[in-house]
Amino acid sequence: MATLQNTYELTYIVNSVISDEQVKDLVARVTTYVSEAGGEIIEVDEWGQRRLAYPIQKKRNGYYVNMYFRSSGVMIPRLERSLEIDDNVLRYMTLRMDSKMLRHYEESKTKQAISYAAEAVAPVNDDEDDD
Amino acid sequence: MTISMSNTTFREPAYVDYKDVELIKRSLNEQGKILPRRITNVSAKFQRQLTTAVKRARHMALIPFVSDSLK
Repeated sequence: MATLQNTYELTYIVNSVISDEQVKDLVARVTTYVSEAGGEIIEVDEWGQRRLAYPIQKKRNGYYVNMYFRSSGVMIPRLERSLEIDDNVLRYMTLRMDSKMLRHYEESKTKQAISYAAEAVAPVNDDEDDD
Repeated sequence: MTISMSNTTFREPAYVDYKDVELIKRSLNEQGKILPRRITNVSAKFQRQLTTAVKRARHMALIPFVSDSLK
């Protein structure tokens, strides 16, 4: 048992009213929680502060964190429970990635890498065509 | 609002990502409702995936449930 591993995508919104320090702390806590429960972190992408499309708990802004990890399914309910309990997590969503999503993820990664490489070779100057 | 999905250059992706707000926004009307397939001419497969993506994006407050800017 517990040998079956899936790839998961977790996005959560942290209350951005709290200090940067606390936000960093919370993100680190979630990440270590996953890795300590036998998960393998693939990527943690912090989108940073964003305006919410509608207020959640009277907040207009939120700090978005998007992460990918591999783990067994048994830890997901526990992880979600801890996110549910934390008052500073406004929203969360865990998705199990199927082959289609994985392919999409890989493709977006390579696309990103290519654009980075292209920028490194020829730094793009912001063309201002206001003539 | 223009019907942007029906133009010939648009290729339906194999997976509709809820994080791709730009793509999702194109298939909503001003109120934030999903445009019907008869308007956008997308495939049933795409429309199904789109519906899921829209609902996920709404949950994560990336797009509004209702946006009635005009009153």
